Amino acid sequence: MALLEIRGLNVYYGNIRAIHGIDLDIEEGEITAIIGSNGAGKTTILKAISGMVNRNDSIKFDGVPLSMKPHKVIKKSRICHVPEGRQIFAGLTVEENLLLGAYNNNNKKEIKQLLEEQYDLFPRLRERKNQDAGTLSGGEQQMLAICRGLMSKPRVLLLDEPSLGLAPIIVTEVMKTIQNIRDKGITVVLVEQNAKKSLSICDYAYVVENGRIKLSGTGKEMLNNPEVVEAYLGAACE
Amino acid sequence: MTGKLFIQLLVNGISIGAVYALIAVGFALVFSVLKFSNFSFGGTISACAFIGFFFQKAFNQPPYWITVLVSSVAGVLIALTVDLLGFNRIRKKNSPKIYYFLSSVVFAIMIEQILTVFYGTQMYAFPSIFATTTLQIGGITFSKLDMTILAIAISLLVILIIIIDKTKLGLAIRAVAINSNTSRLMGINSSVIIVLTFAIAGFLGGITGVMLGQKYSVYASLGPSMMLKGFIASVIGGLGSLGGAIVAAILLGVVEIFATFVFGAEIVPIVLFGIMLIFLLVRPQGIAGRIAEEKA
Ligand SMILES: Nc1ncnc2c1ncn2[C@@H]1O[C@H](COP(=O)(O)OP(=O)(O)OP(=O)(O)O)[C@@H](O)[C@H]1O
Ligand SMILES: [Mg+2]
Repeated sequence: MALLEIRGLNVYYGNIRAIHGIDLDIEEGEITAIIGSNGAGKTTILKAISGMVNRNDSIKFDGVPLSMKPHKVIKKSRICHVPEGRQIFAGLTVEENLLLGAYNNNNKKEIKQLLEEQYDLFPRLRERKNQDAGTLSGGEQQMLAICRGLMSKPRVLLLDEPSLGLAPIIVTEVMKTIQNIRDKGITVVLVEQNAKKSLSICDYAYVVENGRIKLSGTGKEMLNNPEVVEAYLGAACE
Repeated sequence: MTGKLFIQLLVNGISIGAVYALIAVGFALVFSVLKFSNFSFGGTISACAFIGFFFQKAFNQPPYWITVLVSSVAGVLIALTVDLLGFNRIRKKNSPKIYYFLSSVVFAIMIEQILTVFYGTQMYAFPSIFATTTLQIGGITFSKLDMTILAIAISLLVILIIIIDKTKLGLAIRAVAINSNTSRLMGINSSVIIVLTFAIAGFLGGITGVMLGQKYSVYASLGPSMMLKGFIASVIGGLGSLGGAIVAAILLGVVEIFATFVFGAEIVPIVLFGIMLIFLLVRPQGIAGRIAEEKA
């Protein structure tokens, strides 16, 4: 049984149906990639999991129905959603941003240790821990957003376009970090426009189109699938 | 103007300014998390002034702190009731911000009118809490009431700043103020935080109600007229910024006292609005405000 089992998920924005009854399995300890073009519904799927949009009763976590309230999803199921566009708290310091990631944790000693882990992961953040997070560069903000997610000791990390707007060399670094996170036993759901990079690090992938699952398979299968190559990996997509 | 008179006026100004600061902070807190100016706050202040007044009468001069406590608890209850009846549904339905504004104006008028229907427009003098009303320090005469008000207001402001800057609750309030959706992803129950900020504002409103009632006597439009000054201070301070609101409110109190002394009381509103207008023209983000910038 998959860790997250999605069966017949529907999401509406007003009268507009954004997700059309999709099925999706997220296996524990794997990176599951979700790729698709703009407006396909990738972000909406992540929001449905984290409780940020209304959905039908269609998601099971560890075999039991998942809460639809965001603060319960993170507290009870330890599913952490790192949103599109980083959404770090500008005006708060880097360290305050990280502390917010551990909002539900009351163990001071553990929080301290988690902070150290993040600073070891990205020493740049330690140097800037008392700086306004809004003054960080785009790449640094992305690191902060990921670390803030890790502060919650997640079982599942939902990452929405972590490579958006980053220089290629930074993208490679982010992808490596994501693999390291998986190797620590954290289940990762990776939404990406950068199909090539995400397919090459994922264990399993889904292609979403117009709110429906169009294809699915292992990362390797997808990289060799002519349909995928034409639509998402062609010269135009490089 | 002699040096002694100057100090006396300055202390008076800071004392009344500190009360405006409490109002401005209550205002700024709610503004920061919900992005609207809660005008019903003035009604809360009037209602609490009456509650404190009647409590003081009914129990024949109970200790002052009990009156303050009763009034502040009443402030919390009124603020939460207004939120439940006036704002909660708007939030749940994610309606436009203008609804909040309209609802808050409706409640402001309603509370003031209810008080007017029951108690008329006349003023009720709060029984004095001190046997003698003045105090001599270094040959300068101070009003005991003003000094008490100053001490209470400053202590509350310090406690509040510590809560906002140093506690987890404060961090959560600041996070919700910056981005309530992302705060929810951190596991913050933003509805609870919003209700708590209403409660804190109501608490401050209750205390200011009693203090202002004692200083100026109790009447139905006491809160709205004082709230106007808190509002001006929170605009000058930078809407939603607590530090800016406190500084602006104390400055406003000092300006008001000196302007009253020099030009007379009628001119004061013109001076205060003039200052606000100048700020809106020259520095619309307020004393502490920053122009928000977004990184790619
Ligand atoms: N708040 C909203 N209100 C109305 N429609 C929305 C809303 N959010 C998303 N949509 C619509 O739902 C569809 C799916 O959007 P979604 O954000 O999930 O796409 P996406 O795959 O993440 O796209 P991108 O790669 O551009 O981020 C789109 O047609 C979008 O216009
Ligand atoms: Mg998206």
